[in-house]
Amino acid sequence: MNSIMKVQGVHKTYNGRSVPTTALRGVNLEIEAGSFTCLVGPSGHGKSTLLHLLGGLDRPCEGSIEAFGQRLEHMSDAELARFRAHKVGFVFQFFNLLKGLTVAENVEVAMMFAGLPAKEQSKRAAELLESVGLGDKMKARANELSGGQMQRVAIARALANDPDVLLLDEPTGNLDTVSEGEVLGILDELHRQGRTIVMVTHGAEVAARAQRIVEVRDGRVSV
Amino acid sequence: MNDFRLIMRNLFGSRSRFALTLVGITLGITALVVMISLGTGLRTQIDKQASDLGANLVVTPKGWCAYEQVKVLSGNQLPDAIPPEELVKIEAVEGIETLPYLTVGSAIENEPVPVTGILMADTVEMKRWSVEKGDVPTDGTPTILAGSSIAESFDLAPGDPVTLRGVEFTVAGLIAETGTRDDAVLFIPLDVAHEVYETDGRVSFVAIKVDDVSKVDLAAQRISDAANVAVVSDKQLLASVLSVVDSVGTTLRIIAAVAILTAAFGIVNTMLMATFERRRDIGILKSIGSSNARIFRLFLFEAGAYGFIGGVVGLIVGVIASRLITPYIASNEFTAFVGSATVDAIPPFSQMGLILLGSVVVAAVAGVYPAMRAARLTPVEAISYE
Repeated sequence: MNSIMKVQGVHKTYNGRSVPTTALRGVNLEIEAGSFTCLVGPSGHGKSTLLHLLGGLDRPCEGSIEAFGQRLEHMSDAELARFRAHKVGFVFQFFNLLKGLTVAENVEVAMMFAGLPAKEQSKRAAELLESVGLGDKMKARANELSGGQMQRVAIARALANDPDVLLLDEPTGNLDTVSEGEVLGILDELHRQGRTIVMVTHGAEVAARAQRIVEVRDGRVSV
Repeated sequence: MNDFRLIMRNLFGSRSRFALTLVGITLGITALVVMISLGTGLRTQIDKQASDLGANLVVTPKGWCAYEQVKVLSGNQLPDAIPPEELVKIEAVEGIETLPYLTVGSAIENEPVPVTGILMADTVEMKRWSVEKGDVPTDGTPTILAGSSIAESFDLAPGDPVTLRGVEFTVAGLIAETGTRDDAVLFIPLDVAHEVYETDGRVSFVAIKVDDVSKVDLAAQRISDAANVAVVSDKQLLASVLSVVDSVGTTLRIIAAVAILTAAFGIVNTMLMATFERRRDIGILKSIGSSNARIFRLFLFEAGAYGFIGGVVGLIVGVIASRLITPYIASNEFTAFVGSATVDAIPPFSQMGLILLGSVVVAAVAGVYPAMRAARLTPVEAISYE
C-alpha cells in the first residue's frame, strides 16, 4: 500500500488568552490509500486537532505534513483552500450545514468552490443525495431535516468533489442508534469502493469497523 | 450554486435585519434625490424664467440683493422703488425699449395672488404671449390678463368679475400656458395699478430690451449715467440668482450626504453583526474550499447589494417624493419656481445612474472592514464557534 499522507514530528500549541495549550507533541503518522483509520482517545487529547491538520484547516507549529506529495505547512492560504476543495472532504459532529440553503444547495456550494459549472453541480448533487437516500429532500431546507438526514447531507457534500480522503470528526457523536447505523453503513460502502477514510470517534463499536485504530493521548499517538 | 445566489441567500436570510438596513440607505438616497430634484427644478425654472423675461437688461433700485433679484424672476411682490422721474430718464435713453413692472399682490377668495402691473400691448409682444381666450386688456381700463394656472385655480374666464383691493376688475383674456411663473400671475394695466395701489407712478423694476445686442454694455452705461438706478444684465441677474440657488442646493446636498453617511455606518454595523453571527458559516465555507479572498468578496458584494437595492428603492421613492413634495415647496415664495416644473424637477437618468453607482460604492466601502474581518477568521476558529 502506498502512503498518501505523512505526518512527521508535528507539534501544535494553541496560544490562548491566559496560557498556551499544547494539543500535539511530536506526532508521526502515515495514512495509506484506501485505508479506514480511526483516531480514538479521550476528549481534549488532540484527535480533532490532528484531523484538522491532515485536512489543511490548520497549520502545525513544528514538523511536516505531506499530502499527495505536497507539504501542507508550506502552502499559502489560497493553496490550502484549493487543497481542501479538491483533495479532502470534511464531515463534522454537528453536521455544519448552511441553514439558509436547501439540501441540494449545501452540496452544490462545495462544488462551486471547486469551480464546477452550475449545471454539473445540480446533476452531481442529485446523484450524491440519491446515493445517501435523500433524493426526495433536495429542495428541503437543511434545518428541516433530522440529525441522521443532516449527517447524510454532510457526507454527500464531503463527496461532492470526489476527494481522495474523507475526514470525519465524530460523525455519529450526535446521532441516535438508527441514524448511526445508516451513516456507518454509508461509510462502509465508501470504504469498499476504495475511498480513504480517517475518522475521529469515541465509540469502541464504531472504531471496530476500521482497519486501523490510532490512539491519541496527551498529544501523542500510539498504533 | 454561484456567488450571486449565495449572496442573495445570505442577504435575505435575516429579513428583519435586511429590511432595517435597507431603510437606512433608502432614506439617504431618497433624501439625495429629493434635494437634487428641488435644486434642479429651481435652476431649470430660473433659467427659463430669465429667458422668458425677454430683456437684455434689468433696471432695479440701487442696493438690491440677490433675494430681491430672485423675485424679479419669480413675479413675487417687490417694493415700488423706482420713482416716475427716474423712469422718464430711463425711457429717454436711446436705442432701448423699456418695460416697467409693478409687482403687487391681492387676494381672491382669501387666497393671496400675485398681481403685476404692466404695459399691456408692449409686454404681450415682448414676451410673445399667446392670448388663447378673450383679448389683451386695454391700458387705462380695470381689466385683467390672467395666467393659465391661476385662471384654472379660480375658474376664471373672460368677462368674469374679480375684485382687487376693493376695485372691481373684469377678466379680459387668458394667456396660453407658458410653463413659467407668469402662469400664476394676474396682469393688470400699469396705469390702473398705479391708481389702485396708490404708488404715485413708482415701479418695481424695468426690463430693458436693447435694439443692438452688441451694445448691451453701452446701453447699461447710458442708463446708469442717466438715472440713479442699478443696471444688471440678464446674465448677471441669472448668475446672481443661481449663486443663491446653488448655495441652497449645496446645503441640501450636505444634508443628504449626512443621511447617506449614517446609512453607511448602518451597513458597517449590519455587516459586522453578520460576520459575528455567521462565524460558523464562514468556517464551513472555508472547510469546503473557500479561499479568504472569496469570503472577502462574498461579504463585500453583500454590502454592495445593500447599496444597490437601497439605491434603486431610494431612487423610486425619491422621484415619487419629489413629485408629492414639490407643490408644498412651491408655496414658499423663494422656491416658487418649482411649482410649474414638476417634470423638470426629476434628476436626469444619467444623474440617477451616478446616484445608484454612488450608493453601491458607499455600501461596498462600508463593507470592506467587515469583509476583511470575515476573511481573516481562521477556519478552525470559525468552525469551532458555538
